[in-house]
Amino acid sequence: MRDLIGRLVPTQAGLGYIVLVATAAAYLIVYTSSLGRFPTSFDYLSILNTMLPLVFVAIGQSLVVLTGGIDLSVGGIVSLCVAVTATTVTGTGIAPFGWLIVVLVLGAACGAINGVIVAAGRIAPILATLATLSIFTGLALWVLPVPGGSIPSVVRNVLSNPNVPTGLIWLGVAIGGWLVLRRTRFGMRIYAVGSDETSARAVGVPAGRVKLGVYALSGLCGALASVFYVSTTTAGDANAGAPFILTSIASVVVGGVAFTGGRGSALGAVAGAVALTLVIDVLFFAGIDPLYQSLFQGLFLVVAVLLGTVATLVARRRRAAA
Amino acid sequence: MNAAITPDVRRVLYAYAVAAAVLSLGAVLHPGFASWTSLRAVLVVAAFTGFVAAGQMLVVLVGGIDLSIPWVLNGAAIVLTTTSLGQSSRLPQALALALGVGALAGFANGMGVAWLGVPAVVMTLGMNGVLQGLSLGLSKGLTCASCGSYAPQPLRDLFVGGVAGIPAALLVWIGVALLMTVLLTLTTFGRRVYAVGVNSRAAFLSGVGVRGVTVALYTLSGVFAALAGIMLVGYGGQPSLGLGDPYLFESIAAVVVGGVSILGGRGHYLGVVAGSLTLVAVTTFLQAQRVPEYGRLMIYGLVILVILFAYGRDKAHD
Repeated sequence: MRDLIGRLVPTQAGLGYIVLVATAAAYLIVYTSSLGRFPTSFDYLSILNTMLPLVFVAIGQSLVVLTGGIDLSVGGIVSLCVAVTATTVTGTGIAPFGWLIVVLVLGAACGAINGVIVAAGRIAPILATLATLSIFTGLALWVLPVPGGSIPSVVRNVLSNPNVPTGLIWLGVAIGGWLVLRRTRFGMRIYAVGSDETSARAVGVPAGRVKLGVYALSGLCGALASVFYVSTTTAGDANAGAPFILTSIASVVVGGVAFTGGRGSALGAVAGAVALTLVIDVLFFAGIDPLYQSLFQGLFLVVAVLLGTVATLVARRRRAAA
Repeated sequence: MNAAITPDVRRVLYAYAVAAAVLSLGAVLHPGFASWTSLRAVLVVAAFTGFVAAGQMLVVLVGGIDLSIPWVLNGAAIVLTTTSLGQSSRLPQALALALGVGALAGFANGMGVAWLGVPAVVMTLGMNGVLQGLSLGLSKGLTCASCGSYAPQPLRDLFVGGVAGIPAALLVWIGVALLMTVLLTLTTFGRRVYAVGVNSRAAFLSGVGVRGVTVALYTLSGVFAALAGIMLVGYGGQPSLGLGDPYLFESIAAVVVGGVSILGGRGHYLGVVAGSLTLVAVTTFLQAQRVPEYGRLMIYGLVILVILFAYGRDKAHD
């Protein structure tokens, strides 16, 4: 019996899923009671397309946080990639898809620069990415000084089709990618570096290369997010990335990834990102003044983490008692 | 060499060398940059960065971080004008209330971090959201009846005019620098702060009230952010939404350019003074040269990177 209770008490890593289920339930209740019907497939589709950019940024951020780092420059990378996507991805046929590849390479390259500064330059991640945030945001403004640009409907139909849930495929690809990644040697090394870098180095883990890898992947995820962002909003803005800095960190936190590194999973961060997107809808349908939105988001963040802390404490007490 | 020059002092000297280099480079490239008028403008703007960086430095010294600075600053600014309604007679209460808001927010941050064990990034990020929501909601997006009020005239005279030709912001900054230096280097509290920052477990075992120190530092950070908000409305007359946003990352940059270790336990406020000066001098110089915004952002980032490479690197692993 005690075993069963112990299993039901959530661990910190399971926190994201519990918060997600609770938020989704709140969404269904608030939606149905305010509109008198269940959400339609249109509602689900619009939620899916709205959340995809944050989901991708959150996956990238979680990889970096798993190694004990943090990536503030995702804001700049998303801005830059949004600017480049909105200005270059035009026309018909195969050309726009070629440019999409260029954008993804650009994102990964920006991330790799962070990785080199952190790993080879031995500069604290928060400071290195703070400096590159400014540089990437400057580049974005240079590429796209005023909001604008467009995206051809061929690309839009493939990425975030407003009528068919193509986004589900990409969400599946992202989650599948993580499930494969964490079983690879590289995936194991991410956890090794995050848990204890000195020990990891001592047993021959190339910590520098692992860090380079996660920052490059974070950049790639930022580029993917940008592509979906432009596809959903059908235009670009050189400041589009700024909000993602804090929301991606919030997703990772709600998803139960530990800031000290080595504990948690990108899936948790995905759950956190979905929950954070849903909270905005919950507040909207609950009739709460949008001006108070960030108040509830802030409380949501702190309460979610507090619940995780309490759950861990309870679990530890119970284990100690058993 | 001289035994008094510890690595910490050396970093402070580096910070001043960088500030001097940036200022003299500016003077050479842009005639008039070294004039008293221009220099005074740089000093006044740097003072605002210096205030928020003082709070940020205190929490960084114990290995924390304060991401709630933008809306503590903005909230305090709004509280000041909406409670004073521009009347001099209401200034004392308004000042007390604005500083109280900052202290309360900082205290809550400290309690969350020290007693509830919430990571500093999460606690202060959440607090920033809470204060943003409260500021926007209670002032109805800064459209409420009293939101059009200006800061009371005495406060504006003080900050726009100055005392005996010296800008008041500068005088307050000198006061803050003195207070910070005395507090951190000459008091037992300062000793405790560095002890917690170097190794909080060792500090706890040697009898330092780690939680109390942490709460006090976050509270002070809130007070400094509120102080910056008060001075900014004194200087500009009215608060705006997003007034504090630029100070989030700038305060962190100023602390690090000033030679404070982001990992905690090492650094002096006098270095942060130089760090604030450097950052503001770079921005002001680029504006004077009419460098477009994208160029300013890129050069600003590159300057921070170069400084980090010069004296902000971690120790090697091997």
